[in-house]
Amino acid sequence: MENYFIGILILFFCGFFTLLFKNQALKIKLVSIFSILASIFVIKTSIDVFLNGEKTNVIDFGGIVGNVSFVVDNLSAFFMLFISIMSTLAILYSNGYLASYIKKGKDVSAHCVFLPLLVAAMLGVVVIQNAFFFLIVWEIMSLASFFLVLFEHEKKEVLSAGIKYLVFMHVSVIFIIIAFALLAILSGSLDFIEFKQAIFLNQDMADIIFILAFIGFGIKAGFILFHNWLPDAHPAAPSHVSAIMSGVMIKTGIYGILRILDIIEVPSINVGYFVLIISIITALYGVLYAIGQSDIKRLLAYSTIENVGIIGIGISIGMLGLAYGCYPVAILGFAGGILHILNHSIFKELLFMAAGSIYIKTHTRELEKLGGLIKKMPKTAILFLIASIAICALPPFNGFISEFFIYFAMLKGLTFNNLSMFIFFILALSSLALVGTMAILCFTKAFSVAFLGEARDECSKNVDKDVSKNMIMPMGVLACFIALIGLFPKHVLNFIMLPVSNFVDEIEISNITNVVQNISYIFFTMLICIVILFAFKIFLKNKYQKHTTWGCGYNKINPHMQYSASSYVSPFISMLKPLFKRVVDIKKPKTIFPKDAHFELHIEDVEEEYFLKSILKSTEKFFARFEKMQNGNIQQYITYGLIFLVLALVGVVLIG
Amino acid sequence: MNISNAFLILLNLFILLIAPFFVLGIIKKTKAFWGGRKGVSIFQPVYDVVKLFKKDRVISSSTSWIFNLAPVVIFITTLFAGLFAPMVFGYSIINIEAAFIIFSYILGFGKFFALISAMDTASSFEGMGTSREACFTTIVEPAFFIILGSVVALSNDFTFAGLTKIISNFGTYGVLVAIMASFALLIMLLVECSRVPVDDPTTHLELTMIHEVMILDNSGVDLALITWASGMKMVILMSLIANIILPYGLELKILLPLFLGILLILAFAIGTIEAAIARLRMSHVFEFVFIMSSFALVVVSLIAVKLYGV
Repeated sequence: MENYFIGILILFFCGFFTLLFKNQALKIKLVSIFSILASIFVIKTSIDVFLNGEKTNVIDFGGIVGNVSFVVDNLSAFFMLFISIMSTLAILYSNGYLASYIKKGKDVSAHCVFLPLLVAAMLGVVVIQNAFFFLIVWEIMSLASFFLVLFEHEKKEVLSAGIKYLVFMHVSVIFIIIAFALLAILSGSLDFIEFKQAIFLNQDMADIIFILAFIGFGIKAGFILFHNWLPDAHPAAPSHVSAIMSGVMIKTGIYGILRILDIIEVPSINVGYFVLIISIITALYGVLYAIGQSDIKRLLAYSTIENVGIIGIGISIGMLGLAYGCYPVAILGFAGGILHILNHSIFKELLFMAAGSIYIKTHTRELEKLGGLIKKMPKTAILFLIASIAICALPPFNGFISEFFIYFAMLKGLTFNNLSMFIFFILALSSLALVGTMAILCFTKAFSVAFLGEARDECSKNVDKDVSKNMIMPMGVLACFIALIGLFPKHVLNFIMLPVSNFVDEIEISNITNVVQNISYIFFTMLICIVILFAFKIFLKNKYQKHTTWGCGYNKINPHMQYSASSYVSPFISMLKPLFKRVVDIKKPKTIFPKDAHFELHIEDVEEEYFLKSILKSTEKFFARFEKMQNGNIQQYITYGLIFLVLALVGVVLIG
Repeated sequence: MNISNAFLILLNLFILLIAPFFVLGIIKKTKAFWGGRKGVSIFQPVYDVVKLFKKDRVISSSTSWIFNLAPVVIFITTLFAGLFAPMVFGYSIINIEAAFIIFSYILGFGKFFALISAMDTASSFEGMGTSREACFTTIVEPAFFIILGSVVALSNDFTFAGLTKIISNFGTYGVLVAIMASFALLIMLLVECSRVPVDDPTTHLELTMIHEVMILDNSGVDLALITWASGMKMVILMSLIANIILPYGLELKILLPLFLGILLILAFAIGTIEAAIARLRMSHVFEFVFIMSSFALVVVSLIAVKLYGV
């Protein structure tokens, strides 16, 4: 038996094994120990694959299912590696996170069953190369995460978010099933390898299949138009689950897209531009709404949408490079996209964990109530800062490396001498720059409102100390990853090129990796210069007086006079008024000595409001016509049965 | 080129570090000239910064280590961005492909710290400046990328040196592109370095302030570093414009005076603008900044016409 089978099986069964124990804290501990064990097995396999090439196992299940192939190629190995590492870290974090719930007497048994089950299913998704089994495991993944979202099921908004998530996932499965069914009809088999040959023979079907699969997997990944489950499900779920969902699970959607791409081999130009446009819109839309949010986890969820858009931009540039036969563009695009998958999962997980730590300490996710936490939670603050810098793609951290690759691919494309490529790449270039600056706006807001200044409310004033060590540790590991990838990108890039080789055959990269490594050394020097100058400043000129912030002569300053999250972004939001639906809850101060006043601003999703709701309304209207059929009258039901039987008989006679 | 690289590096570093003071001095002198005053000495900015270096600081009790660290980060990042930017000869000290991306992201890193350090003081004034500054960046940056990206397509040169080839290699189109691009960069300069009509660096106590209000609580060394850094930023952007205008491949003894002359003219122009017009109302500032985007779009279309003949 292969190592990774053992790993997946351990994860699959360890949840059920914990049901034997009564002690709640012990259950989480067992799950973490088992998942560390399992990840060792899985990592061993992926390293083996990277060194020695792909592994194929065919297992005969007999009956109608027949042979099911489990293939670990470079792409799968890459996904296996980061799924297992990231999930394990999130599970370790949950030890500390759930402790406060357990203290309150919360039962975590079900949670402990589904948590490793989700990880096992994700690992299954990336190795199974049989459409039927793929869908089963895919469904297990969706359901397990659904139950994990419902952790605080006694809250109404959690329930509705969970249901919404479930519905979206099943819409997504419909598209995937249609795409696979088409492939199965073409090839007469359920095996992905057979799919490849079938597509090779029927190139005209490739576009439609890719678009169907893209929609299906795109819903999971959070591409726009069907992204609405993300900003609801992430805040509802406990933080380590949001971390796994946002950092790891949505990447299985990306994996699906990449796998279909692998099956199709050379996408058409139109499909490439389609994905590019969708990705650009996704990135812009995600960051635009992230700016508007004041719930920290909602903000992070929208920023996930943004980053999925960036990954999509990278992948679509790779696709266009393939379609035009311009291989340097393809290599750089895919490398940037795939590296950004890894990078995003690292910093987004860290951000969700830090947000969870804030929630544990202050019991609120509302940015407007936070403030000044850097003095009370210094470690969490530094970790959040590192992740924010990384997610804004600023040097010297890992986000910059992947975005730089995407930019570089665009520049290469600009010199390719093709007009449509020129226009679209200029558009993508400026959009990516716009996304970058908006991300800076978004994350300076998140960081500075939550951690800097003065506490805006009792709940953040009463925080006594930072979160416990077992919550800080996994976050610290993630921060180390961020710094390491940022400072030594060469080795990571060599490793990233292995999955890229699935798509592009001729890989010649030593030049560009050296350039990137040199850039990183420059950044490293820059960091050292900053440290030296700061040390100089501290040692030589550290004489200062403390005084309250200058208030232009006004000296009764209170924390409510600080800029809040919504006022920070208000110039930006008023500049782009038509793109937002603003819900204002205002009570103006009245009389000469006003007693109370109140202002609250919520930004609602325009797409949900105008697109999704109108679709829902029309479907509801349509199905309301059939309400008469279900009237509780037994006689009528029997008539239905009779009509059905007659129709079936006629059908059989006609066909037979 | 028979001049050694070491000399060029030293020359560029010298311009980068010293020119800011004189540029600021010239702007002040110009304003005084148009106002009919004698004005302060051209060396005044040097005296100011030296004085600030000697002074002790007053730090707000609301702040954390971020506030303490930020001025250093701003200074060093601007310096490093300057190393990537082309100065005399279109020669960057660190000459690397896709340098303009690295250049703007390094500046972005500094800006990130500028923004959070202003928010660290818990002051509502500084919050206001921060939010506006962050907002204007979102308009400026994409336009900058459009211009530089299309210049890469035109000159087929991924380094910053591509800027210098516009006029020399592409004749009339090159001149048109160069004019449009330099105007766009001039607007970027006015926005990024907080000059009139976007912002007024001479007063602190106006609610229409942007960048200047962000450093309200900085004093002593911190203020000196920030002032120096913003001067450097101005010189960097000016030298980008100078590199667009100056033809490629001149002798150093002709090029250096021309380069410094352009810096001088730009400083004079900025001073004249400040003397001639008042700061715009905040709602009109957005419109003003968007002019840069339209210039950028003109640049793209010109280049598309040149390359593909549409």
